[in-house]
Amino acid sequence: MWTTALVSGISLGSFYILIALGFALIFGVTRNFNLAHGELVVFAGYVSYWLWKVWAWPFVLTFPAAVLATLLICLGLQRLFARLCEPLELNSIVLSFGMAILIQNTMLFWFSGDYRLIRIPTLSQGLHLPGLYLSYGQVTLLFLSLSMIAILYILMYRTYLGKALRATIQDKEAAAQAGINVAGMGTLAFCLGAILIGLAGPLYGCTHYLYPSTGHQITLLAVTITIFAGVGRLGGIILAGWILGLAESFAVILCGASWREMVAAVLLLTLLAFKPRGILGKGEQ
Amino acid sequence: MSFFASKNTKLNTRGLKFDSVGLVTGLVLLIILPALVKSNNYILQVFTHALLLANLALAWNILGVSGSISLGHAAFFGAGAYCSAVLSLEYGLSSWLTIPLAGLLAAGLGLIMNLICLRLRGAYFALATLAFVEIPRVITDNWDELTHGSLGLVSLPGLPSLSLGTWSVDFSASIMASYYFVFAFSLVLLGLVRFLFNSNLGLAFQAIREEEIAAEAVGISANRYRLLSLLLSAFFTGVSGACYAHLVRYIEPGLVYGLHFSAIPMIFAICGGRFTILGPAMAALIIYPLDQFVFHPLLPAGHEFLYGVVLILTVLFLPAGFWGSLRKIF
Repeated sequence: MWTTALVSGISLGSFYILIALGFALIFGVTRNFNLAHGELVVFAGYVSYWLWKVWAWPFVLTFPAAVLATLLICLGLQRLFARLCEPLELNSIVLSFGMAILIQNTMLFWFSGDYRLIRIPTLSQGLHLPGLYLSYGQVTLLFLSLSMIAILYILMYRTYLGKALRATIQDKEAAAQAGINVAGMGTLAFCLGAILIGLAGPLYGCTHYLYPSTGHQITLLAVTITIFAGVGRLGGIILAGWILGLAESFAVILCGASWREMVAAVLLLTLLAFKPRGILGKGEQ
Repeated sequence: MSFFASKNTKLNTRGLKFDSVGLVTGLVLLIILPALVKSNNYILQVFTHALLLANLALAWNILGVSGSISLGHAAFFGAGAYCSAVLSLEYGLSSWLTIPLAGLLAAGLGLIMNLICLRLRGAYFALATLAFVEIPRVITDNWDELTHGSLGLVSLPGLPSLSLGTWSVDFSASIMASYYFVFAFSLVLLGLVRFLFNSNLGLAFQAIREEEIAAEAVGISANRYRLLSLLLSAFFTGVSGACYAHLVRYIEPGLVYGLHFSAIPMIFAICGGRFTILGPAMAALIIYPLDQFVFHPLLPAGHEFLYGVVLILTVLFLPAGFWGSLRKIF
């Protein structure tokens, strides 16, 4: 049982990393908290569900469609964020909170409040190893999440573009001085974030139930991981995602499934209560 | 003009005059409303609810005026609702007693929130409050013996009755009586907020909002005043939650701790104008009936998109809120 919890925690954690990366990237580069993040993930999941169920597309082909949909919404969102005045972080929270309500209700209108699952039969079958049960869904989640994290790592740390992005995250003014197009980097961050959201959505839809109000939980996960990691540290995000995944998976075993929803909140609050300086040091300049 | 550091919203005499006109018109309309709508139960019910939400927005704004944005007032609302419901249902206490006790419990929760968020400002405070709601919600959800978990509590006792000598009124007897009960609560809260805003305490709240370091320099302890505004805000949100429980007579964790009750007071306060006294209540009394009478029949699923749109438009185009902007014009 413990090894199963360990493996499912790592698998879940890797997926959380994928979910949080888009949020962290947008926040790091543009200083905008996008509270509509979870709603966008759910929306991408619904797009994929719809194409798969109603138009009978193969599941794999729904990924580009979901990416396209989130890309369009995120670019629109960026235009709105650009109009905000100081203090940017707080205003972006209020604006994106409004956006989250808007997207949530649009989904309620289009897709109704019913629970939906992209049910792929092979994903729910599993591997029975001694002392360990692994479903193919978990393996897929782990594999796809890790490969996307690897691609993003190469982009951020091995290319010139990644260097420019990291420079913008570290110091906007200095980056602009060095000739980096900071506004362009903002757009790029929103595009990359949208791609990550678009890829996470369908994966969420085939492993979790989709319903309009579930986005709130996803946003909370993304916020927790991003703040835990600090700004602009990919390694920190990976560590935070795994800790959260493991904590949730062990909380289910120790206290029962109904306490799982509290794990992310308690982790975030403990962090903010005892280590706010590390966060505030970078947050309020 | 920037949204959160307001320079132009100081109380000026012209604005005060405009406020008084708005206040008197609003109060007269609200008092004669039952006569106007010929005791149409549905309309009265919507306006009772709108008044309750106005109270929530007013209570939220006690914290809002000291510069903090809370996305977690559902924690106080839900705790208040559950406290009053459990005390009156299990222990048979009168609602006259359980409603203030609910406020005290919510204020206690506010104290815990303050301990956690003591050093957080702005965006990080908002995110912490967003996460904070989960804690009382999950505890309520799992405390089956007391709260019946996610099943919720049903057939709660109604609003209390009042008897003075031979004259007595039962506030749960009719919708009109409930309406006037909530209205009386609104009046008390509005009077208190007005007194607070115009007193030294209100000035201290505004000072720590505008320039915390400068306020500290002239001897205003920012932490103490922020705690005070949070406690007052939590207390009245808890009381509103208790009123809601006795008004609707049915509560469940997903409902009273839902995002709805965190979002609604913030949206009304920001749309009405965070730095005005009347704005939040006005917004509640205009937007909620608009939602219920116009958008709900049109779009039964998803009618709450209105709140999102209103919030986005306000942040982008009317940073001072509609009442705050109107005050400046007149």
